[in-house]
Parts: sequence; C-alpha cells; structure tokens
Amino acid sequence: MDNTEKELRICHMYPDLLNLYGDRGNVLSLIRRAELRGIKAKLVPVSIGDDFNENDFDIVFLGGGQDAEQNVIRKDFVEVKGPKVKEAIENGMVFLCICGGYQMLGKYYQEHDGTKIECLNAIDIYTVGEDVRYIQDTIYEAEFLKENGIAESSLLYGFENHSGRTYLGPTVKPMAKVIEGAGNNGKDGYEGAIYNNVYCTYSHGSFLPKNPRMTDHLLRLALKRRYGEDYELPELSTESEDFARAALLKYKEKGNTAP
Amino acid sequence: MASIRFHIAVFSAKCTHLALRLMGRGATTLPGKVAVKVDPKILKKLCSGRDCVTITGTNGKTTTTHMITDIFRNCGYTVVTNVSGANLLSGVTTSMIFGMKEMKKAEKEGKKIICVLETDEAAYGKIACQIMPKVSVVTNLFRDQLDRFGELAHTRELIAKGLDSCEADILLNSDDSLVSELYKGREGRTVFYGLSEESMHYNNVTYPDKSGVLPASSDAEYCTGCKTKYTYTARSFGHLGSFSCSKCGKKRQSPRFFVKYDLSKNPSDEGYELSLCDGGANGDKASAEGVSGLIEKRVKLPIPGMHNFYNSIAAVSACVCMGEKIGDTEGLSFDKCAAALEHVEAAFGRMEKISIGDKKICVLLVKNPVGLDRALSFVAGASDAEGIYMLLNSNIADGKDVSWIWDVDFESKEFPEKVYVSGDRYGDMMLRIVYSGVDRSRIIAKPMEECAELLDQAISDSTPGKCLYILPNYTSMLALRSILVKRYHLKDFWK
Repeated sequence: MDNTEKELRICHMYPDLLNLYGDRGNVLSLIRRAELRGIKAKLVPVSIGDDFNENDFDIVFLGGGQDAEQNVIRKDFVEVKGPKVKEAIENGMVFLCICGGYQMLGKYYQEHDGTKIECLNAIDIYTVGEDVRYIQDTIYEAEFLKENGIAESSLLYGFENHSGRTYLGPTVKPMAKVIEGAGNNGKDGYEGAIYNNVYCTYSHGSFLPKNPRMTDHLLRLALKRRYGEDYELPELSTESEDFARAALLKYKEKGNTAP
Repeated sequence: MASIRFHIAVFSAKCTHLALRLMGRGATTLPGKVAVKVDPKILKKLCSGRDCVTITGTNGKTTTTHMITDIFRNCGYTVVTNVSGANLLSGVTTSMIFGMKEMKKAEKEGKKIICVLETDEAAYGKIACQIMPKVSVVTNLFRDQLDRFGELAHTRELIAKGLDSCEADILLNSDDSLVSELYKGREGRTVFYGLSEESMHYNNVTYPDKSGVLPASSDAEYCTGCKTKYTYTARSFGHLGSFSCSKCGKKRQSPRFFVKYDLSKNPSDEGYELSLCDGGANGDKASAEGVSGLIEKRVKLPIPGMHNFYNSIAAVSACVCMGEKIGDTEGLSFDKCAAALEHVEAAFGRMEKISIGDKKICVLLVKNPVGLDRALSFVAGASDAEGIYMLLNSNIADGKDVSWIWDVDFESKEFPEKVYVSGDRYGDMMLRIVYSGVDRSRIIAKPMEECAELLDQAISDSTPGKCLYILPNYTSMLALRSILVKRYHLKDFWK
C-alpha cells in the first residue's frame, strides 16, 4: 500500500491550556512515527470557541492542565463541544487522554471538600480527589500490546503525578495492569481506561515517546478507521526508543538513592 | 538572653563551617541551618538595620543577584551576598553570618554596605519578614519543577505573602502577566521594568522566531482574572510580551526602566550593544514620543543571550531604586549603575566561558522549560558553537519528572554538529533530541557513570577557537563542577 497518499489528521484539543508535564511529546510522537512511514501528518489545534467536527480528524489528543486552566475549559468542553465529542467516541474515533483529560471524560470529579464537579459523562468512570499525590516513575503491562508472546513488548513506561483516584464502571476496561506505581486509584492494581477506541492514562508527558508500540497501536487504529480494515501500518524501527527504555530500566534498577 | 542565644548560634555556625571545610565539603547552607536551630530569629537580627535587596522568581535569580552585586561593588559599596543555590532560609542565614566580619570592617572604614540576597520563590513568603528588604525584585514566573511547587498561581501567592510582610519597593517585570499582577494593592511602592514595547514589536515583525512543528507549551495564555485569552501585540519569549485582556482590561503596564534593542545583531555574540533607559513617569512611552526626561544609556550586554536583557535592566533598576530609597541618588545614578553593569562577569554555570588548554567550554545551567529553550536558542545563535553536551538528572533537587523536556521547542532549534548526552536520564534526553529531527548517528549518549569520560572525549573532539556548550541541569551541574575541579584543575567554585 502506498503511504505517501495517506494522511493522519490529529486534533490537539486545548493545546494552549492543557499542556502540562510534557504532554506535547505525545503529539510529536504521533507526528514523527507517522511521517517516518511517509504518512502526512496534519495537526489542528482546537481550543475554546473553535468548532469540533468529528469528520475532520482521525485521532484526538486531550492532555492535562493545572486546575486553574481546567476550570477555564470545562464549560467549553462539557457544554459546547460535549455532545459532538460524545458522538465521536460512540462512533469509534480514536482518542488519547491523559490525566486531566482522562478525568474530564468521566461522570464527575469529586473535590477534597466533597463538591462534585460534573464532567462530560462520555465514559463510565468517576474520580475522587485526595490529599496524597502519586508522583513517580511507573511501569504497566498492557495485554493488547503483546507481540508474539514477548513480555517486554507489552510493557508501558510512564510517570504519574495525580491526586485524583479514578474508578471504572462495568462498561470500561482498564488499559493496563500496574507493575510499578499507583495506577488509577492505588487500590485495584490497574491503570488507565479503554472504552471503544478511547485510551486514557495517568501517565504524563513522554508517554508515547517512551512507548512506540503504543504510538503505533493508536496510529494503526486511526488509519484503519480511515482507510479500511485491510490497511496495514508499515514496519518501523524502535531502536532509539528501545535505547531510551533500556536506559530508564537500568536507572531504575540502580536504585535512585542520590539526594 | 537573646543576645547570648544569638552569639551561640553564630558560634555553632562557624564550628559547623570549619568542620565541613576540613572534610573538604562546601559549606553554603548547613551552618545557617544549625544557627537557625539555636536561634530561630537569627536572620531577622542579622538583617536588622541593613539595606537589603532580595531577588526572587523562576529564572534569572542568580544572574540578576550577581549583576546587582557587581554594580554595587563597582559603585563603591561593600556587598554581602549569598552563593548561588543557597537561597533558602539556611543559605541566606549562612551568607549573612559569614558576611558579619566584612560588614564590621566596612563600618569601621566608613564604607556603605548593601546585602544582596537571592531568595527561592517558595521561601520568600516566609523569610521576607525577617530580611525586611528595602527593594524586592521579582524576575518572572515560569514552570519550574512542578512536582515541587504545584502550580504557578500558588507560587505567586507565596511571593505576594512575602511582599505584604515587608515594606520594600517592589520591582516587577512588566512583560510577565503573572508577575506584573502583583502590583495590585501595592501600587504606591511598585516600579516596573521590561523591554521597550516598540523594540519588541519591531523585532517581532522583522525577525520572527523560527517556527517549529508545534509551538512550545506556554504558561500563561489566558487572563488569570477573567479567563479570556490574552491578545499580544508583541512578544519577547515564552509568555513574556505586551499582553492585554479584551474582557477585563488587564494589560501590560508601561515600565519606568526599559531596554531598547535590535536583533539585526545577534545577542548570542559577545559585545552586543543595547540601550538601557529610564523613562521616569512616562515609562516606555517616553521612548516612542520623544518626551523629555528620558535617560538613555548605551551599554555592552555583559553576559550574552536575550534573556539577559531582562536580567540587566532588573539589576540596574534595583540599584537605582535602592539609591533613591537610601538617599544616594548621586552615587547610584542611572548613568553610573548602567555603566557599572558593563563590568559584570558571568558566574559559573551562567554562560561563563572557560579555557581548557586551547579549547573552550561554556556551561549553561538549565533547570526548566523556558531556561532550556533560551539556552538552546542561544547555542543555535552562537557562531562558535561546534558541540553541545547535555546532561539530565532527576534527583529530588532537579524534580523527579523529566517530562518537561518535551515542553520545549527543540524542533525549531539548530543543533551543533556534535551532540553528547549524559546524566541519569540520558536515554530520555537522547530520545528528545532524536525526536526533534537530529540523526541518531550524530549523538553519543552515555550513562552518568561515564559522564567524565564523555567530557574528555567532547573536549578532545573540539577544535581550538570553537566552543563546546555544556547544558546540565542542577545536580548534574554539581557533578560536572567537581569533575572540572578534579580533572581539569579549575579553581574551586565553592568560594
């Protein structure tokens, strides 16, 4: 299949507001691993007041922000774009949502004082804010990424930084099992959520750069949806990414005891 | 009693200092910590009756502190200041204790004394009431080690608390929407400094930044008051520029002290010239309208890089305001302070060029996204840049999370030919550079344990007359510093 005629349209939602902890790196990863395959990547920022039309995009990225900034977008996201975003999710649009973006897709976010903030209610999850923040490097195991039974291929590396505890309802599957870190709520041993083609995680920033198989998984889903089920994503080396993963693992094994 | 307690505290600090030095260690904070344990109010006593300037904010603290110190010294003052990084209660106290002797001596000789104290943003709220500064400079607010501070709005609240606990004249960066807001409720004692709007606008249009694939993550695009997106008529870098809010009317205030500059010449080059101005009550409007009362002084930028426009004008403003506050408008006139700025020299890790045999290195400490953005932009513009060596650690002092490197627009920056990478997180940094489009084969990446050998290699690879730019973050800089002392016999930087 000739990829030079293929195109990937990325919707970056609220890039001027939800851009915490290196979320930008996820978008750069989608662009890079598409373009190295000769697929043209088109990036469209969609912020407050801009229209969101499902037909204009193949994949949507929604990151996390500081509380002040999440409050700025809540009305626009839930009330204005909300119905169209929900429809896109039901139609199988591919989404990657991180931290604040993840929480906002759910039913509500309950603050420390008990106040419930209504969220989009697009997927069956809810979040409760607590005092203790989970801040650490993480490792997860995602079954859907396992290639030829090789365990390493299914490992996801991340960094979590959240005080919200998220709980999943019956229609939502966790994205991965926690190997290191707290995950969704520090209790059930799971991390993130999958609903239709929506992938959610608490893993910030350099999530996709560190996890090229996850990047490819999302690209494959988005391009198959656009070009049909028989579309095959071309092979692409993960040498640089694997080098970075190996370095990270070595660092973790060494034990980080320095001040 | 209090007096005895004070003397015991000072004595304990001196013993601690001696012990640390005997062990061959730097003693920039522990003596103060010990002293505070003995006498919790020791800093207040040390600063009582002194003329203090404090400098706080995310970036430029150390350089601005250093510039202010040098200006005062060049104007004949005796200055007590703190060592870079020792900017918490313990570090400030240590510096004041060990400055006592010098101050006493200066007093005997009838010399004028100033204390120039860099203070951490979070610590400022707590220690301003002890220091009771006469002048307080706030440089800027950018994302920095978010896993430590939480959010920028919170950091600003801490600074506001400090400002309200003292009676200092406040010097604010007019171009930073997050900082300039601090003038509200403190109008009578606030003075603004910044870049001239006219220069910003002209240079923006004439020399627009190279645009990358994706704009860098910005820290303050929306009005903190009414959540409306700011309109910018001009920008300098990051979220700094001439902003205004169409809804609530919040906007950049015209600065009294400002810089006129022209980017047709490269501020990465040594000897770059700019104009420092005091527009008086007319602010930078004085420049546009040619109103009388404008004082303009042409100077050579003492430390290269566009971000040093801000540090320079902040430093000169602080000295002039101190002169007005203590009644030395003659000795600390705008002309004299601006002239004194030219003689400032870079501090270690702040663009100081160091010769190693016939080779040259330059160390640029980078701790947060905008700092890294500025450093990469500086290196991209430096005509002698042949190699770049980046070191990334993720210890507690650095911030455990290294994902901030992805917030920086590497894509629009040109990298020197030779790229070296080390630090505990060398894999992360290597990948970041590769993702910006630099070919993997151009990058040599080694773990932290091999950073000294990699430095040897990078230095030996470099050509005389060219420069190797080294960009470490905080703890990797400390490691680098001791390597330079041990392996290359450079002077001890702890002094």
